[in-house]
Amino acid sequence: MDAVLTAFGEVLQPQVFFIIVAASAYGLMIGSIPGLTATMGTALLVPITFFLDPIPAIGAIVAATTMAIFAGDIPGALLRIPGTPASAAYTDESYRMREKGQVELALGVNMLCSTIGGLVGVAVLILAAPQIAAVSLGFSSYEYFWLALLGLSCAIFVSSSSPVKGVLSLCIGLMLSTIGIDVVMGVKRFTFGDTELIGGVSIIPVLIGMFAITEILRKVARPSRLPAPPPVRLGAMVSGVGSTIWRFKGGVARSSLLGSVIGALPGAGADIAAWIAYALSKKFSRTPEKFGTGYPEGIVSASSANNAALSGAYVPSLVFGIPGDTITAILIGVLLMKGITPGPMVFVMDTGLVNAIFAVFIIANLLMLPLGLAAVYGSRRLLSIPQDILFPIILLFCVIGAFAANNTLFDVWVMLVVGLVAFVLEENDFPLAPMILALILGQLVEENFMKSIIKADGQLTEFFARPIGGTLGMLTLAIWALLIGMSLYRATRSRRAASTGE
Amino acid sequence: MRMNDAVTGGVFVLLSALILFAARGFPTLPDQPYGPGTFPTIIAAVMMVCGLALIWSGARSRVPLLAVADWMRGAATLHRMAWVPGFVIAYVYLSKPIGFPLLVPVLLGAFLTVTTGRPVRAAAIAVLGTAALWLLFAYILRVPLPLGLLTEVIY
Repeated sequence: MDAVLTAFGEVLQPQVFFIIVAASAYGLMIGSIPGLTATMGTALLVPITFFLDPIPAIGAIVAATTMAIFAGDIPGALLRIPGTPASAAYTDESYRMREKGQVELALGVNMLCSTIGGLVGVAVLILAAPQIAAVSLGFSSYEYFWLALLGLSCAIFVSSSSPVKGVLSLCIGLMLSTIGIDVVMGVKRFTFGDTELIGGVSIIPVLIGMFAITEILRKVARPSRLPAPPPVRLGAMVSGVGSTIWRFKGGVARSSLLGSVIGALPGAGADIAAWIAYALSKKFSRTPEKFGTGYPEGIVSASSANNAALSGAYVPSLVFGIPGDTITAILIGVLLMKGITPGPMVFVMDTGLVNAIFAVFIIANLLMLPLGLAAVYGSRRLLSIPQDILFPIILLFCVIGAFAANNTLFDVWVMLVVGLVAFVLEENDFPLAPMILALILGQLVEENFMKSIIKADGQLTEFFARPIGGTLGMLTLAIWALLIGMSLYRATRSRRAASTGE
Repeated sequence: MRMNDAVTGGVFVLLSALILFAARGFPTLPDQPYGPGTFPTIIAAVMMVCGLALIWSGARSRVPLLAVADWMRGAATLHRMAWVPGFVIAYVYLSKPIGFPLLVPVLLGAFLTVTTGRPVRAAAIAVLGTAALWLLFAYILRVPLPLGLLTEVIY
């Protein structure tokens, strides 16, 4: 109990609390402006967290992303444009509610369900993470190698495009992580004689390039004017919300738990959780025919699930240092820069930090209620900012952000090149999530692989000799078999489609 | 910028060949076949197999080698998009000699004029935006943003 109070005390210090509130406001803004995703917002926040202590830095990221995932629902209900991909699953449904004159109810349900989902996710995190950490203290390099590989394989498995492209995206990330001094012998690799590359590719400019520059390029090419949002009566956002959610309490509970689990899977984040929760609630619903007509049941489920996924993603990130989604991939990058290596030892050595992260999550989810109301109130103004003004300013922000981490213009180059390459890759249906996960995990994979293979003296059977390591290894191989099977199936199917098309 | 899979696959095969070649030059641990080149070699091998798979599937499809998506067509669109790398490159080369406070309002104002088509409003936003970011990064976060020409004026 003492530890919990200390954690809350630490987070509620005026300065830390101010940063959390400011980050929340920022997150609400990012989330409610269509085109700015939670991941992009986090990437842009990183240069600022660089100047903060670990706890406020993590607090800022947690608060901003929690708010952004909820705020993505606001333009969804008002304009039928999801603010972030995580809201896309139920945008139509909430817009139908607007057409029925229930826009306030939709937003109120979004807000309260986001909070409930978020809190359930935190509860799962608080209960599960230390237990898993205790088990994983006995892990050796074999287990870590398989775990990291399993995480990366999952990331490919859940990405919607072709597995081959996912693997290639993964390979790029792993290759980027090998640039610099190698972990085994300290030899310079792929530095092209450039002194800036000896320390490796820095993560901040890569993140900004991958998630912000790509989006700026798309938005600048297609300037769009948002339609005018309708007026919202705040009073109506509160009344009737409780009873609506109570009616679908089973759905809330199921989707929150489901969301936490999906979030914990590497590579699957809030958007996938929302889609699956929406589909499942339709399947389990007593009135599936009402879905798509402005019926709150699907909204209740999906908006609980996406916020739960956000918290769930922190389980593997904190316990193993294996990110559960792109946002936690960034968070791990931030922790590493602060000299904290996420892993089971953090739960032994740094319990203060772990408890503070839990406290931040609880506070951020509770803050969502008052700040969310304010955001809905201010959203008309926010949504009237023309996008053609916004994106050039964000580009300037990116340039300064990439520069600020190491105070070197070289990183601005890295940002630009990565951004352009990522843009072309995304245009050709390559998923970016495996790449960023691989870049963060690359060193962990290589280090543990090299340790293991040297220990085993080249005997690959040793990789399966330990019980947990062997199980993880078999799981990984099973996923690979599935992936290969899937791509072969796709290939034959498309060939058959091509031959019948003639 | 949609390319046929065979084109992207070819790029990956080429890249993996270069990596394989470079990785052969790395030393190995004494008395062991492994070393800094082991991991890149494995990745490059995977990359090559996947690249070949893309070439194989791309060659059978009838997708054109290179197609520009509809939304990217038009000189005006490409012009606006070219401003993104242009802006960054101009900043990299000019920020040191000219300085952030002088360069950025001009650069940002020009970019905003291109996107909004309203030069006066663009100029006002550019000046305000630069001032706000300067305040945040140079004063509050103490990032050494270059002063350039203003260095002598101030000191």
